[in-house]
Amino acid sequence: MLEVIGLTKKYGSTLAVDDVGFAVPDGKVGILLGPNGAGKSTVIKSIAGLLRYKGTVRIQGLDSRTVEAKRCFAYVPELPYMYEALTIREHMEFITRAYGLTVPEEEIQALFETFELTDKQDKLGNELSKGMMQKVSICCALVIKPKVILLDEPMVGLDPAAIKELKQVILRLRDEGCTVLISTHMLEMVKELWDVTFVMDKGRILGTYPRESVADEDLEELFFKVTGCSGKGGPSSVEEAQ
Amino acid sequence: MRAVIYLYRKNLKNRIKIALRKPITYFFLILIAFYLFALPFSLKMVVEQFSLNSSEGMAAVLTVFAFWSLPANIIAYAKRKGLVYRSSDVHFMFPSPVSPKAVLLYAHLKTLFMQLLMNLFAVVYGGILFHVEPWRLAVYFIFSIMAENLLEGSLMMLLYGSERLNEKFRRLVVKAAYGMAGIFILIGLVIYLREGFSWASVTKFLHSGAVQLVPLAGWYIAVIHLLFMGATVYSVTGTVLYCLTFCLVVAAAWRMKCTGDYYEDAVKFSEDYEEVLASRRQGNMDKRLGKKKRFGKAQVRWKGGGARALFYRQLLEYKKTRYFIFDINTLIAALGGAGIAWFYVREGGFGDFSPYVLPAVSAYLIFIFTAMNGKWSKELGSPYTYMLPDNPFSKLINATGIQLLQGVINGCLLVLPGAFVMRLSPWVTVLCVVFYAGMYANKLYALAVAQVIAGSALGRTGRQLVQLMIQSAVILMALAGAVIGNLLGTVVSSYILMDFTLLLCTAIFMVIAALNFYRMETV
Repeated sequence: MLEVIGLTKKYGSTLAVDDVGFAVPDGKVGILLGPNGAGKSTVIKSIAGLLRYKGTVRIQGLDSRTVEAKRCFAYVPELPYMYEALTIREHMEFITRAYGLTVPEEEIQALFETFELTDKQDKLGNELSKGMMQKVSICCALVIKPKVILLDEPMVGLDPAAIKELKQVILRLRDEGCTVLISTHMLEMVKELWDVTFVMDKGRILGTYPRESVADEDLEELFFKVTGCSGKGGPSSVEEAQ
Repeated sequence: MRAVIYLYRKNLKNRIKIALRKPITYFFLILIAFYLFALPFSLKMVVEQFSLNSSEGMAAVLTVFAFWSLPANIIAYAKRKGLVYRSSDVHFMFPSPVSPKAVLLYAHLKTLFMQLLMNLFAVVYGGILFHVEPWRLAVYFIFSIMAENLLEGSLMMLLYGSERLNEKFRRLVVKAAYGMAGIFILIGLVIYLREGFSWASVTKFLHSGAVQLVPLAGWYIAVIHLLFMGATVYSVTGTVLYCLTFCLVVAAAWRMKCTGDYYEDAVKFSEDYEEVLASRRQGNMDKRLGKKKRFGKAQVRWKGGGARALFYRQLLEYKKTRYFIFDINTLIAALGGAGIAWFYVREGGFGDFSPYVLPAVSAYLIFIFTAMNGKWSKELGSPYTYMLPDNPFSKLINATGIQLLQGVINGCLLVLPGAFVMRLSPWVTVLCVVFYAGMYANKLYALAVAQVIAGSALGRTGRQLVQLMIQSAVILMALAGAVIGNLLGTVVSSYILMDFTLLLCTAIFMVIAALNFYRMETV
């Protein structure tokens, strides 16, 4: 379970995220939606422990900054960056060591197989295309068998086959009881995945929408309605949304 | 920590393997070996001239290093700068369960290889130049690698990673470090006022007891003095204080709480660092770490169309920058020019080689700074340059016009001071400037030729190597021209033939570079 309570982040005097709170239970897929500059990245980076913030973030009930919480947490950033001098295989080796795991070779090879990296595992980080880097980033996140996984725009740069695979992986993770939080703009890509949607704008959560409560509503229409962007649904106030 | 050591080991091993596969590595190794071999001979004279060829001399040199390195490091750590993390560390290591203390140690570990090399360098030169006994050098090496490294690592952990020290305290530490440097200056000032300025007073300052009692940096200097010059009240007191500090700081670093509060600053630093690296890869050397490039407001009156747009766009960019078209190349040329004039006056001439010093230094400076291609390399990498509806020669002239002007100005700065003190005739002076500007232009067009030859298969380093090879060939041809010209008659004929050969090669490169504008596959 992922819990974010009263998360506030300031950059100098600019308030980027204001008292944000939400929770994604075990075995659910949460989607963080919002226009550019809404504060999604700040929330994601705060959860991943990359920023200082006020408030509390709990992963499986543990303070997200503790090593114990990090052991069951995986993060796929929007822009993947590889170690230039490490091969794909060595990236996996580093991650398993960092998480103190012994992963059977068959499991690693199965992951490579899923994301079509089997024949590329000896390629160095600086020889990979952006899409391939994203695949490695996803494999590194999956190899630790996380209880909570955070995916920031995970479909960007992936080919259609990899997107299809990733969707299946996300659904499988959910079925296995993993908590998934996805931040994305690509509403079409996540429409069959989500269980709960959090709509953000101007650093605040405008609304929380469990799938069952908006059964017939399209995710795109919901987004435009809540944020008041130029969608078909027309603007609605923050108060109304909340 | 196992993961961190694995990462460090693999990275180092793979990097060495990759480097050994690249021919340019061998070129740089030869260059470094040459410098390492030649340096002791040139330094030997200086060391003997200033009577530094003893253990005392080594202590003096290390003291000078300590003056700026220790306060500078403390300031960098207290400002949460100075530790190099790459974006890959932010991606993989920061969110992982690797302890934030181990992440700090990893950054410190990355400097270990360089520290080992530097200390080996100090030990070898200590033996050759300062005639220090081997046991003292061995103790110094072990002390530097073990104790000093551990103390600096612990200080770094405390200042960079501790969550008990707030921003206010960190600012105080920065002020204290400046204060430390200020005390050194003050001690120097007192000695200067009492004894006047002489080599003896400088030596007295470097070995003074007061310096050895300044906290931290002074105590380190005391250890160095104890090791290389024997015991005095000051060196023993300073060493005892150093040992106490060592125990306290290491224990505090061991016990301190760190949950990764510093990650935010480290992420910011890594973003800046990647930006600077990306900029340097394109040949722009003016981007500085942590300093956002500021652009002022400027306007140009756009004239003409087609490739003229390239010229005016560049002019607008230059007008918005602080130093207009002047950059590090201009500074190097100005310093080089002043240096040549100073050496000429000091040495009373350069013998038979005098007339050729200016072109030789020009060729050397341009050759060494080949990687700095400025805006031109950006133009070559931009698809718009290729798509512009204009003829290739017009594109080439407009895209490099301002840099060619820069070459002429830099050439004047390098040549004129030397030409003045050497009393060169106006003709020879002009030919010297033409040589510099021609060489500068040659470097620009050699980059485009290197792209044609190397294509995209050899990568950036391969292209640079080809560019270096092309330039070496041109320098050799110009040299041959100079030799033939010299055999034919006067210095002027030698210069004319040298410039003619260079300009001919440059013109050929221009044609190849212009033809390259028809396609972009090689980029």
